[in-house]
Amino acid sequence: MHGFSAFLFAAFGCTLAIAEPQWNASYAEKTEALSLKGDVTRGEAAFVICQGCHRVGALGRADGSYPRLAGQHTSVLIKQLTDVRSGRRSNAKMLPFADHSALSVQDIADIAAFLQQLPVPADQGQGSGGDLALGFKLYAKDCVTCHGERGEGKADQFYPRLSGQHYRYLLRENQLIRDGGRRNANPKMADAIRHYSDEDLAAVADYISRLPLAPAR
Amino acid sequence: MANRQHLPGHPKLTTAFVLCLLLGTSALSHAGDPQEIVKTVCAACHGIDGNSVDPANPKLAGMDQEYLMRQLKAFAAGKRRDETMTGIIAGIDPLDFSRLAAYYGKMTPTPGKVNDAQLATKGKALYDDGNTDSGVPACAGCHQPDGRGNARFPRVAGQHQAYALKQLADYKSGRRATDPLMTTVGKRLTVDEAKALAEYMAGL
Repeated sequence: MHGFSAFLFAAFGCTLAIAEPQWNASYAEKTEALSLKGDVTRGEAAFVICQGCHRVGALGRADGSYPRLAGQHTSVLIKQLTDVRSGRRSNAKMLPFADHSALSVQDIADIAAFLQQLPVPADQGQGSGGDLALGFKLYAKDCVTCHGERGEGKADQFYPRLSGQHYRYLLRENQLIRDGGRRNANPKMADAIRHYSDEDLAAVADYISRLPLAPAR
Repeated sequence: MANRQHLPGHPKLTTAFVLCLLLGTSALSHAGDPQEIVKTVCAACHGIDGNSVDPANPKLAGMDQEYLMRQLKAFAAGKRRDETMTGIIAGIDPLDFSRLAAYYGKMTPTPGKVNDAQLATKGKALYDDGNTDSGVPACAGCHQPDGRGNARFPRVAGQHQAYALKQLADYKSGRRATDPLMTTVGKRLTVDEAKALAEYMAGL
């Protein structure tokens, strides 16, 4: 019996590993939110409970406490929101505001549609500018393949847009991903920056915070 | 019955409760005339124009009708409790709720009074920006920068400090649980922050 369940587990686990990456696993609510058609007007109304932190226009805060969401891909927004509320990404501050009592699955699709089309002004927080050459070098080596030359990300791969994001938020999340604290991160990224020093992370976040702004696709 | 036990200690409450008992039937017979119900049942605490005098009782003037309606229903269903309102609501015909909400919603709110300008300044910072360390969102996000509120979130502008403070404390303790988001906010606010907010909102 024990041997049989071990066999089943191995077979099932193996299928999962082949079918989809763990960091971006499908689950009912995420799949549903991704399949729903988001409505910008409804999303604007639903976003009201988010703007106390993420601010009007979803511009986030330069101190890095809350990220900029304006112009982000809908796929990324939906993944992160449903990951937070299903416990795949730890975020105690946000959890009650992403809870089922606060947002329906349709609300999530609507909010994502609203956020994706918002303008992204070039007033994001930036780093010191101290070592942009190192930042460029690291970005070209480890980041550009997935996040793109202009930091535009890849919507169909759930890779976030980075351009226009606040430096301090980029730095904080980079540290979390490097140190294993962001549990829903792509392990390829965690591997790529595993040996980065704090200075390396700061330099690359600084470089990203200065990327020219391009509309999300 | 539980209500009656502490009635002798609360003369105002007794009056309101007796009025409610006496006029409850009369209110039913006057269905459709909210002014009559307001005069006989609500005005003693909330004022005829929705601008209560006693700071323990909320101003209702200018609150969104949908919001008022939802609170009346919550009191009637026992989901929101208050030693006065829980008794009063039983004497009001639920069919009159929408008329009462419309009556008070249309009234013009009077400005509140700031007693401590320094405290209000602290409150403003919190109201506009929240507390990023504890995860208190800016109140302005939902209640709007000028505090006028909407159908989902109540007007807080000009509200009595004592009433606002009591609500924040009740959310914190779990005594009021009509909105899970506010339960979170109430638990994250410190007592001093709540005081500063109440002071600032009174002046909005």
